[in-house]
Amino acid sequence: MNRLEATHLLVSVLEDEPIVASLGHPAYDLFAAGDRPANFYTWGSMGLASSIGLGLALARPDIRVFVADGDGSLLMNLGSLATIGWTRPSNLVVIVWDNGEYGTTGGQDTATAHGADLDAAARAMGVTATVTVSTAGAFGAAIARARVEPGPWVIVAKVAESAPAVKPPLDCVFIKQRFMAAIGQPEAATRGGGA
Amino acid sequence: MIVDPQWAQGVCEGVHAAGSRHVVYVPDNPLSHVLRILREHYPDITTTLATREEEAFGIAAGLYLGGARPTVMLQSSGLGNSLNALTSLLVPYKIPALVVISMRGDAGEWNDAQVPMGRAVRPICDAIGLPHATADTPESTSETVRLVGQTAFGTRLPGVCLLPRRLTVPSTAPAPELRRGQASA
Repeated sequence: MNRLEATHLLVSVLEDEPIVASLGHPAYDLFAAGDRPANFYTWGSMGLASSIGLGLALARPDIRVFVADGDGSLLMNLGSLATIGWTRPSNLVVIVWDNGEYGTTGGQDTATAHGADLDAAARAMGVTATVTVSTAGAFGAAIARARVEPGPWVIVAKVAESAPAVKPPLDCVFIKQRFMAAIGQPEAATRGGGA
Repeated sequence: MIVDPQWAQGVCEGVHAAGSRHVVYVPDNPLSHVLRILREHYPDITTTLATREEEAFGIAAGLYLGGARPTVMLQSSGLGNSLNALTSLLVPYKIPALVVISMRGDAGEWNDAQVPMGRAVRPICDAIGLPHATADTPESTSETVRLVGQTAFGTRLPGVCLLPRRLTVPSTAPAPELRRGQASA
């Protein structure tokens, strides 16, 4: 299973749940798998996809929030697992595309290619709903469970790099406003000063 | 018994008056007063501890996407930890936050290691385009925090309220010389 195939599977299983994608190839593959307004593509802030997802999950307990992170990105913000393990939002699902490399920057090894175990790290930080999958069947089953069973979930998906050829929209404000409208939180409603 | 300092009460009032009900923070000593007052007197405000400041801004961005008005509280030393989140997420996506920074390295500082970033806080804010205001007196702190928040959420850009040490450190604190150990030559 490569990351693009897994991303296609993810999008096909989900309905209108939001997906926050880490910058670079995870975001590119999410766009390639099917652009949808509830996709939040990051163009920077490496490492923060799971944090953005956490904040969204805390603000919107009524919706299930998916994050498409990368192994290199999560390794840059491992403290996020501790915060997720503490706050334990049951509606957060963090998927880690674990290809053992920094795919967007030229394929340098990440620590997961040398023994680092992000599933075990999540468990060590108090996230109990974790699973590591390496086949499409197991990944699809994990997503189906994570859609309905209490989280927070960390799903480590072992994937091959898939060298995406397309990129999502570049306008950050467009991405944000389309996303907020898609999750029923149009930005105009939050505009203005005072209480 | 701990007395709630007026400036700290003002921060809480300002945050609440700006419509913020979510505070993400990395603690420091002066902010401990703010966090205690929030916990004791503001049951409608949720506080979330982040492991580092950059993470706090990521969580704040997610809160905003979900319709909240986030506040981020940190010490000035943590602004350095926050820059990539600010410059590649909050600023380009126009995601606002009320940012309350407890200053180190300004007048009254005793720790050399705090001075370079303390001196750089305002130039950094200017360089990345973040408006900033300083709470000058205990009496004006509430209004300053509120106005910074109002502008942040109205214009969709993080706004920074600085809390200088002359505001947050009581004048009864021991002189720095008395707290510093004597190294051998």
